[in-house]
Amino acid sequence: MTATTAYTPDAAQSVRQHWFGVLSRTHRADLAPHEDALRDVEYRMIRAPEIGMTLVRGRMGGSGAPFNVGEMTVTRCVVRLADGRTGYSYLAGRDKAHAELAALADAHLQGPQQSHWIRELIEPLAQAQAVRRARQQAETAATKVDFFTLVRGEN
Amino acid sequence: MDAVTASATLLQPAFADPVLDSQRSFRAALKALAGPGVTQSLLSAQTPPHLEGLASASHALCLALLDIDTPVWLAPRFDTQAIRANLTFHCGCPIVSDRQNARFALLDDSQLHDLSGFDLGNDRYPDQSCTLLVQLPSLQGGRQLAWKGPGIESRNHVSLPLQEAFWEERESRNDFPRGIDVFFLAGSELMGLPRSTQVLFKGGV
Repeated sequence: MTATTAYTPDAAQSVRQHWFGVLSRTHRADLAPHEDALRDVEYRMIRAPEIGMTLVRGRMGGSGAPFNVGEMTVTRCVVRLADGRTGYSYLAGRDKAHAELAALADAHLQGPQQSHWIRELIEPLAQAQAVRRARQQAETAATKVDFFTLVRGEN
Repeated sequence: MDAVTASATLLQPAFADPVLDSQRSFRAALKALAGPGVTQSLLSAQTPPHLEGLASASHALCLALLDIDTPVWLAPRFDTQAIRANLTFHCGCPIVSDRQNARFALLDDSQLHDLSGFDLGNDRYPDQSCTLLVQLPSLQGGRQLAWKGPGIESRNHVSLPLQEAFWEERESRNDFPRGIDVFFLAGSELMGLPRSTQVLFKGGV
């Protein structure tokens, strides 16, 4: 690839990170309507869906010392389409069929039909997730309690 | 094309049944070391699909033995992009350029005259030695030698196609309990040569 090409690895990477993030937050039911379209391609498994554990770490307040939150179940899958495109997925949970669909989606999104798949699949899902998240945040915000201490009269 | 995409196109499937097939290969490796000089065969149904440059037994043993804790050293013949990409992907093993740091090494017969640099373990932890996976064209056809030692009732007669230099190298690095264990691999067959096996040359005891 020559330097004059408009391809910039960083931009392509962040676009892929975006759809990867959206796919990893999907539920099985979100991908079900697209199942036939996703499977309508010749493909084989490079890594059949497999279930494993991963350790989640966090930082208090985002900047404190790292600590182990706990382990979570993760299902991962890698598929190869007939034209050589390779799709990956990493999902929370133990749903192998879901992981396979997400890997297929990643493979489709790397192809010539990318804008079609982003429009049909990723954008609606991203919107649905944003709505879901906003609703949950609103529900959580309603339970917020402000603690304060009254000034004690000392006289 | 960036490096990640390039190596992604080289990936291919490994074991059809990752758990059972790697257990079967591991079992064959155990039997090979427990009975030195006896050929063990892997069934074609339990070996992984062909990977360019690797015999099926070598490929199966790599998938069964290597993981993130086992740095592996590759002889130049096996240091191809396809082998690197697939071992890194399916095993997660680090590939090292320095023999001293390797837990496993994948060799062909052109490397056997020089086994310098491989870790022999130490007296406290002899198990930390480097295990050699040696791919040969065949497990027969060389000079017949008698092997004896643990796991062999009296004598096993083995005719591996190896140069004398290999036996001298092995002898010079065999300082029990330190030493090197070797698997010889050809096609779908394997044979073990643990450090405890004595090889009797003509006129030997």
